[in-house]
Amino acid sequence: MGKAYRLLYDENACIGCQACSVACRVEHGVPEDFFRLQVRMELKGVFPRLGMSYERMACVMCEDAPCVSVCPTFASFQDKDGLVHIDERVCITCKYCILACPYHARFINPLKNVVEKCDFCYESRVSKALLPVCVSICPTEALMFGDMNEHDSLVYETSHKEALIFPKAHLKTKPKVAFLPKRKGMKS
Amino acid sequence: MSPIWGSMAQYEMVHWSWAIAVYLFLAGLSSGSIMVALLVKWNRHERSNSSIWDAMIKSGAVVAPLSILLGLLLLVVDLGRPLSFYWLLIRYNITSVMSLGVLFLLLYTPIVIVFMLLVFERSVMKYTFLAPLVALIQAVKELHSYAKIIEYFLFVTALCISSYTGFLLSALYAIPLWNSPILPILFITSSISLGIAVNILTGLLFFKSTINEESIKYLLVLDLRVILTELPLLALLFIGMFYAGAESANAAKAALSQGFWAGLFWFGVIGVGLCLPLLTVMIALKSHVYRISYVVINSMVVIGGVLILRYYIVYAGQIYLG
Repeated sequence: MGKAYRLLYDENACIGCQACSVACRVEHGVPEDFFRLQVRMELKGVFPRLGMSYERMACVMCEDAPCVSVCPTFASFQDKDGLVHIDERVCITCKYCILACPYHARFINPLKNVVEKCDFCYESRVSKALLPVCVSICPTEALMFGDMNEHDSLVYETSHKEALIFPKAHLKTKPKVAFLPKRKGMKS
Repeated sequence: MSPIWGSMAQYEMVHWSWAIAVYLFLAGLSSGSIMVALLVKWNRHERSNSSIWDAMIKSGAVVAPLSILLGLLLLVVDLGRPLSFYWLLIRYNITSVMSLGVLFLLLYTPIVIVFMLLVFERSVMKYTFLAPLVALIQAVKELHSYAKIIEYFLFVTALCISSYTGFLLSALYAIPLWNSPILPILFITSSISLGIAVNILTGLLFFKSTINEESIKYLLVLDLRVILTELPLLALLFIGMFYAGAESANAAKAALSQGFWAGLFWFGVIGVGLCLPLLTVMIALKSHVYRISYVVINSMVVIGGVLILRYYIVYAGQIYLG
């Protein structure tokens, strides 16, 4: 059976330390001022009910991925587990996928001149049964990663216990990344 | 200074820039001018001697191949990796409008080039270095009994070219201004208007001896109708966005009211591109005399307007995301 990967981001546990972003940069050699992953922060609410609001910006690994359907050369493709990858050999850098992505997850790597994005660290880590680097580095365990087909996995248990928010769910892209929304503090 | 999570530049980039806007313009120009040439050929070409072409047909025959070839060159050069463009010819993803566009272009481009060779057969024969083409022309002429069918086919492929440039943008639901079925129709109508303007202008400049006032008048009447269709189409584009949820509505509001691009829309697209030609065409037609100055002014403003429309759609779409 194929894997049903899921990455959960718990906004209650995140402290905005940016360790995930730095680890990602190191792991993949992302050029300066470009990002596979950003965690944005905003102070929200009215005093005294204030709180930090966090937003993870990265590829959400859509099941119905617009970047894959618009790519003219199949450079954007899905593997057997439904993860979206980029075949750098056939990418012509037409930028169509960058425009098609509703999550703004893609950019052009200026060193290689090809389109790049988060790939769940598939090559270097997940395919070797390691966690994605952002998940393993997170000091507050705000990130969880695993296979939804394994019923004893942390992501399976958390997904069935918590109310999840799938980013831009109305677009019906069926992301593999979900958020555990902030419970306390500010009113949005 | 960047926020703590780093530079936002990558998220604010305009990825498709002037080259794409100009390509959309050139593809519209090419398909529009050949459609207009064919319309004149079918409806206004009274002479039975096929070697004496109406100036409008000659214009279309020159403009269509040259503009599409220039456009394609621009498209390839604009790729991040221009030398890898050949993958577009090897791999086809039929769910991608870009791949469909490649297929349409592969059908359309050779036919318009052959069309040009046929119309300018005599010029081709004059130059010895073009001798290999003469054989091609002779071979194509053997097919004269199918001429009408080939012309219809060319017209359909031209329609595909002008509409695919719209679908190319409208296929992306991440961009509210583009994600509308109105866009391809808007691009078809504006490319016909553009074809009329450029054909008339080229006709006046280069093929004055074969200009037929009747066909110019026929085209001006057609242009009037096309422009009168474009205005409600533009209105529909934005009205549709206002009813398509908060994100689209915000994008529409911003695109119509904020910054340089909103100004360009009202001044360039609506003012210069549509109202001014409407005015000149009405004056030109009303006076019942063939006034060359009106016709030239009309053509110039239409060309400017359509180019501005493509620029506006390409840039405002990427900037105002709602």
